Amino acid sequence: MNALELTDVEFAYRRNTALRGVSLQVKAGEIVAITGASGCGKSTLLHCAAGILSPDSGSVRLDGQDLATLSPESRAELRRTKIGVVLQFGQLVPDLPLIDNVALPLLLAGHQRSEAHVHAREWLTQVGIEDEADAVPSELSGGQTQRAAIARALITGPTVVLADEPTGSLDSRAGKELLDVLIKTAKYRGAALVMVTHDNLVAASANREIRLRDGVIQHEVAL
Amino acid sequence: MATAELVLGLLSAGPAHGYDVKRGHDSWFPDGRPLAFGQVYTTLGRLERDGLVEVVEKTSGGGPDRTVYALTDKGRQHLADWLVDPVPPAWGSADEVLRKLVAAVRTGGDAAAFLARQRASHLRRIRELQETPAGQDPTSPMVRDYIVAHLDADLRWLDGALDRIALDSTALDRTAEQENS
Repeated sequence: MNALELTDVEFAYRRNTALRGVSLQVKAGEIVAITGASGCGKSTLLHCAAGILSPDSGSVRLDGQDLATLSPESRAELRRTKIGVVLQFGQLVPDLPLIDNVALPLLLAGHQRSEAHVHAREWLTQVGIEDEADAVPSELSGGQTQRAAIARALITGPTVVLADEPTGSLDSRAGKELLDVLIKTAKYRGAALVMVTHDNLVAASANREIRLRDGVIQHEVAL
Repeated sequence: MATAELVLGLLSAGPAHGYDVKRGHDSWFPDGRPLAFGQVYTTLGRLERDGLVEVVEKTSGGGPDRTVYALTDKGRQHLADWLVDPVPPAWGSADEVLRKLVAAVRTGGDAAAFLARQRASHLRRIRELQETPAGQDPTSPMVRDYIVAHLDADLRWLDGALDRIALDSTALDRTAEQENS
């Protein structure tokens, strides 16, 4: 069974069609790079895969479950537990200490705070920022913020990690370090990793490249 | 490629055999193509003919070649001049990727598929380099950065070429038809 499967996905923003019948399958543990020029539909594809956007037609299956057939509550639950999302600028909650930011998915799932903090601390250690547990996001560097976003994305043990330009806000050295952390932690969890990127050095770390152009897959190559 | 000048550079530390020159070259460019023995001896012969190196020791017998070469004053000056001169920008059409692309377009081949495979090949090479730490000596990390930066530049060009082919597919088809008619 594929960890993630999109079949004939179409999506339009009002009259602008962003995806035109995109189909792809990603297996557990696989690393896939989605590349292509700005506006080609990369991020829309990722948002459809994450269940943030609902396709106009076609289906998105996560661990075999069709997101469209689930109730809103079940879909939200699936998104919380099976999908980890890393965005370009981390998108941490500004007023929360890092430990709470990372623990947030577990707290939302109803875990006890003390238990959630134990896991969050483990993940902060995994991504190398355990000393920043009490810092708030404004006190962190871009690289530290992204590491925290990775920890938050992986804390629930997701099946699929979706990363949208994960190194886009970092310089090349910090970007390389972050990429290593992202790949190492995704592998550690056995999660599929799908990265939207315009950075060839990031794409090079994938097992497969899928290039989009004007909302369609232009090519798909094994790396 | 300036193999001759590199050989002069390798001899600037002191006299050496052809074998040492080859080993020195390969240690300077661990990510590059090893220098062939044949090319080393051909180059040394040409440099000797031009008075840039000289034979300072030669032993013959049943064993391996023991010819030792050293830089001459003229060779040392040639090396110094070479290191000062900027390199003219490369002329793109000398590149095989470009040659193949133009040939594919002109003959009605599947240029987009070729470009996709070339992208994959370049990306794989970057990953290989990223997975192997560069040497700790002063120049290896710079050589590594150079190769990766050029692969990255090639990839950007490949991206642009893919976009052009998608945009101009009708025009390109027409070009191929004209060439073949």
